[in-house]
Amino acid sequence: MMVKYELKRIFTKRLNRLLLAVAVIIGVVMSVFAVTSEWYADSEGINHETPDAIRRLTQDKNQWKGELTGDVIAQIVADRQEIARDYPDEAPDTVYGERIQAYSDITQMVDTILGGDEGYSPGALQGITTDQAKEIYSIREQYIEQLIQKYGDTPEKQEFLRKQYEKTDTPFYYEPADSWDNMRLYATTYGIILVVLIGFLAAGIFSDEFSLGADAVFFSCRYSRTRAVRSKILTGLLMATVIYWVGMALLSGISFAVMGVSGFNTPYQVDSPYCIYNVTFGQLYLIILVCGYIASLLSASVAMLLSAKTHSANIAVCVPFILFCVSPFIGRALPFDTFFQLTPDQLVNILNCARRTYIYQIGSLVFRQIPFIMLFYTLAAAVFLPLIYQCYRKYGLKRR
Amino acid sequence: MELKINGLTKEFKDFRAVDHVSCSMERGVYGLLGVNGAGKTTLMRMICTLLRPTEGTITWDGQDIFKMDAAYRKILGYLPQDFGFYPDFTVQDYMMYISSIKGLRPAVAKKRTEVLLDRVGLKRVKKRKMRALSGGMQRRVGVAQAMLNDPKILILDEPTAGLDPNERIRFRNLISELSEDRLVLLSTHIVSDVEFIAGDILLMKDGKFFMNGTADEIISEMDQAVWSCTVPRKEADRYLSRYLVSNVKTVPGGVELRILAERCPVEGAVMEEAALEDAFLLYFGEKAGEHHDGEI
Repeated sequence: MMVKYELKRIFTKRLNRLLLAVAVIIGVVMSVFAVTSEWYADSEGINHETPDAIRRLTQDKNQWKGELTGDVIAQIVADRQEIARDYPDEAPDTVYGERIQAYSDITQMVDTILGGDEGYSPGALQGITTDQAKEIYSIREQYIEQLIQKYGDTPEKQEFLRKQYEKTDTPFYYEPADSWDNMRLYATTYGIILVVLIGFLAAGIFSDEFSLGADAVFFSCRYSRTRAVRSKILTGLLMATVIYWVGMALLSGISFAVMGVSGFNTPYQVDSPYCIYNVTFGQLYLIILVCGYIASLLSASVAMLLSAKTHSANIAVCVPFILFCVSPFIGRALPFDTFFQLTPDQLVNILNCARRTYIYQIGSLVFRQIPFIMLFYTLAAAVFLPLIYQCYRKYGLKRR
Repeated sequence: MELKINGLTKEFKDFRAVDHVSCSMERGVYGLLGVNGAGKTTLMRMICTLLRPTEGTITWDGQDIFKMDAAYRKILGYLPQDFGFYPDFTVQDYMMYISSIKGLRPAVAKKRTEVLLDRVGLKRVKKRKMRALSGGMQRRVGVAQAMLNDPKILILDEPTAGLDPNERIRFRNLISELSEDRLVLLSTHIVSDVEFIAGDILLMKDGKFFMNGTADEIISEMDQAVWSCTVPRKEADRYLSRYLVSNVKTVPGGVELRILAERCPVEGAVMEEAALEDAFLLYFGEKAGEHHDGEI
């Protein structure tokens, strides 16, 4: 019953209701942006930016669905080179709509493979022969060896990287994944909004008694220093869980219902060939969601801990905002790049984390950035809970 | 059924709010009377386990209340001076929420809420938001929440502060009704609040109890008599500065004064029967009846 009324307290506050309504509206608006952000060029070269653009684009790209063998890639490279020869300045829209659009993901993949550590190198495929195109995976392996030497500054790290790269099967399986690709950015952005909102709402759970002067009645009640504190903590976690997943379900539900879910099983290496995470587009999206959830729990825990300690929501509201929104800017300005890749804001930056090769070593243990921050901040959020409990229940019990 | 306070002291940094206070209370209504800043609220907060004493103990039937912890709070009801609440809750939701923290089962809580809201005359407004209630209504909700667990110890800190005279009388009667078979400790700086309903009165000043007893006993301890006289208006200030004056009333031809003095202050003055308010003025001097926001 306590949790029910704690939740009711959160959701009956006018400001909280207003903020939740704004969050819902933002979710819907972002869904609309997501489904209308892609365009499709038909065979006449006319662009369509309608909500069904991604489905039509997927249909067009599906002609290349399947394993991207050397022969397939050579065929695409040859076709693209032929177009470049026929149209040295720029291919007309009709040619784009008829031929280029369908394999644009694959040409981009080839350009990225050829760019090595530099990443996407537009037009690089124009400089290779058909035979080299057939051996694109060998070229990738050569670059991988260079990357291993570059990022593996110890034998353990080199061994670790080699194992990670070996996990990815070649040739890559391809199925157009534009909807997943598109949603990564929107899920990340909306996740940040929800994390800050959750921090704001959680801050009131342990500070309202003091800001409203209701602490005296609260702490004179039988279970004020035991069950009621536990209920408050549970309320914070429940609130974070419900708001985050309902928000993400709203965004994802609307967007994928319109765009479709093609490409769930496409390896992320099609987009980022040197990625050290052996995941598909769908799995990466789920990792983005799970990391956002961990960030939400952390935001709620930090806000609750600070409000339990300071009896004020002001600092408690600010800190999650600083952690998730301000620290990335601080991190960019400071020289400790490696350290700032482990700060909590990275939980809501998986989109970029997956593209980069950040590995760490403690003793003989080598680990990657994403699993580490997932584990570390889940534990951090959990460790804060008993601290919140102890901090709040001891209110007023100091002798001086 | 005995609440015993023994050598209780509370210090805040270099300030001693309660200074070696001792007393014993059983069933009945106890009035804690003192000016603002006397230490009443600090004492009550310690009795409610909201503050831990720097020195001394509080026991309930021989057991330390801080060691009893939840078992003690199970029998405690408290209405603080600044009764804070959750403004967006309805009256019923507020009562149910407090019930849950008090450990009442939902069915019992619902029934108890109905009974108590009826008793404090708020049954009709149970669906109204707390923020929409008048000050008097809010304090009645405060009393109702304190009674939810049918406490053996009911602590009421300045329950009538800020209420209009009608509400105050109504409140006094309500407290009187609720005092049956329990210990009620009522703190106030308004003499009339305790004069009618408190059996025992504890006078508190500068963190210490300096007198206790019934209203009659406290009055009989006065070493000064009460005189009533009428003086010319221009001479009123002279009497006000020279004597303790418990009442000033403008009448045709001058000012009628109620003076506390050992001897007749002016020719023609009539000796009056002393009231508790006179004793309050005598014991607390110029601070008596002052209104401050910053009660400690």
